Amino acid sequence: METTLIVFFLVLPLALAAVLPLLGRLSKRVLPDILANAVFFVLVVNAFVLGRRIPAGEPLILQASWFGEPLGLRMAVDNFSLFLLLAVALVSLCVGLYSISYMEHFGSKPAYYALLLIMVAGMNGLILSTDLFGIYVFLEVAAVASYALVAFGLGRDEVEAAFKYLMLSVAASAFILISIAVIFFMTGSLALSDVARSLAAMDAGPVVAVCSALFLMGFGLKAALIPFHAWLPDAHPSAPAPISAMLSGLLIKVSGVYAMTRIFFHVFGLTPALSMVLMILGSVSIVLAAFLALGQKDLKRMLAYSSISQVGYVVLGLGLGTPLGIIGGLFHLFNHALAKGLLFLNSGSIQSAAGTRNLDEMAGLARRMPVTAVTSLVGSLSIAGVPPLNGFWSKLIIIIALVQAGQGGFALIAVLASILTLWYYLLFQRKAFFGKPEERWKDIREAPFWMTASTVVLALLCIGVGIFFSPVVAAWIEPAAGVLGKGIQFVLGAWGL
Amino acid sequence: MTLQTLLLIGLIVFSALALLSRDLIKAAISFAAASLFLGIVFFRMGAPYAGVFEISVVAGLITVLFILAVALTEKKAEVRESPKARLIFPLFFIVFIIIDVLVMRGLIRKIPTLPAEAETGLFGQVLWGQRTFDLVGQVAVILAGVFAVLALFRKKDLDD
Repeated sequence: METTLIVFFLVLPLALAAVLPLLGRLSKRVLPDILANAVFFVLVVNAFVLGRRIPAGEPLILQASWFGEPLGLRMAVDNFSLFLLLAVALVSLCVGLYSISYMEHFGSKPAYYALLLIMVAGMNGLILSTDLFGIYVFLEVAAVASYALVAFGLGRDEVEAAFKYLMLSVAASAFILISIAVIFFMTGSLALSDVARSLAAMDAGPVVAVCSALFLMGFGLKAALIPFHAWLPDAHPSAPAPISAMLSGLLIKVSGVYAMTRIFFHVFGLTPALSMVLMILGSVSIVLAAFLALGQKDLKRMLAYSSISQVGYVVLGLGLGTPLGIIGGLFHLFNHALAKGLLFLNSGSIQSAAGTRNLDEMAGLARRMPVTAVTSLVGSLSIAGVPPLNGFWSKLIIIIALVQAGQGGFALIAVLASILTLWYYLLFQRKAFFGKPEERWKDIREAPFWMTASTVVLALLCIGVGIFFSPVVAAWIEPAAGVLGKGIQFVLGAWGL
Repeated sequence: MTLQTLLLIGLIVFSALALLSRDLIKAAISFAAASLFLGIVFFRMGAPYAGVFEISVVAGLITVLFILAVALTEKKAEVRESPKARLIFPLFFIVFIIIDVLVMRGLIRKIPTLPAEAETGLFGQVLWGQRTFDLVGQVAVILAGVFAVLALFRKKDLDD
């Protein structure tokens, strides 16, 4: 039973994607809308059902066989991967609902949903993989779909951004692949547990250091950590709004942060040097990207820089490596996925209503678009870390963890950058929603039903997770952090054959 | 060893030519030649499957696709590059080779070589029995590529 549930994460989106363009010939809009969202909904339910069946701190392993012969198809779910599967399912459901109205004027809905489903299947495959090469292959699946989705609008900017994204992403893949090749040479295996065992047994310090550096560059590029961030401020704003929400909310975290964390914690083991490098990269990203966001006039570019800054918090918390730091990092990852998904969807509503993304041109939209104004206020305050919203708690946990570990300097950076974050989000709120509405905005109306409905769901999630943060952390985050906290012992013990 | 070195040099030279060539057809052919060298290296290192794939897919199929695509483009679409861009690649390439040699010299002695064994099992068995998960991934990559083409070349229909 459990194994079927695991397979669903990969097979359902992939199977629907394969037939969607054919079904699209029967019905160009309604059928793709319904089927794609049905699959996303099933995945959310699936994550909750699987969450009840998974033993705490132990993985569920699926070994597929074909007429009794074991196949090279192995997937595993533990509390860490389950928590990410839930985040992917939740955000993609909201994005799918939003797309019902938003993608009307783009045309070609079947191809759009097919690509979106493949991107989700790619992320789920990466999360479920127990093997370095599997991680690489599914990283590419999600990436190839995302290049096409960034260019989906077919405008000059979109195509240019997709090309830039493709080029830097290929460089990232090359770094990752070289590192995998070196590891395969050393250990003769690609399975995470075998590699971890072999590396622990041999004295391979310098080679592991080089591989760590290569992985750091590769996954750092995917996660858009500074100084590997150049592609993100172009790629994320150019994509259609729901895709920006997927990219900023999920993709950089799954193909960057998740893959990096899984390998550093469970294969190499987090050394003090690696921990310091991660913390420094995290803090540099937090501060620099916050300053860059402050100067942006384009709403989506500002949100994109803010993503870099917030991924910095996640990496800072995870890099610290203490149990509380890991909890803070993972919780912030989840909260940022919800809040940034929400804000990018809001930016799409604003753009399709007002026809502009330039913050200087907007004013007083709150009266015309009350739901968008309120939900975006929730998203902004959540990311800025204002209590009692979810982002406040995760930042607080990271800061407390830093102080407890005697890293006062990093804690101070995290606090000060949080004030910067609040500053630029309040600027956005003031420029876009407050003040006297201009004459030309008088005919603007609130976004269509499905667009507002999905933002309301995300805003309620932000508030709900903020108010009930204690049970959420206990049920989803702590078990995930526990799995990471065990280090390489976890894969050696539980994932070994 | 000398043959191996010659093959590797050929691989690098043709790869560089593929990047530097101003004529897209020449670039595509240089790329095919580079894959051919790589395929032979794979064969000589006891990895016939990788060699077959490299030569049939990369040197054969992809080159045909490239040349077809080039044939479909128009002459007037040519863009003049700034001279700076033409300088940057060779410079970057030389710096990369120097760093590569320095790093690899240190690294190569530290990496234990795996015991040399030829690939065993039938082709299908290897792919289906040992790397099934990757096969699913490959299918997904191909699907993504096909839908990307469907989505990105739809503009004509919209304009009509």
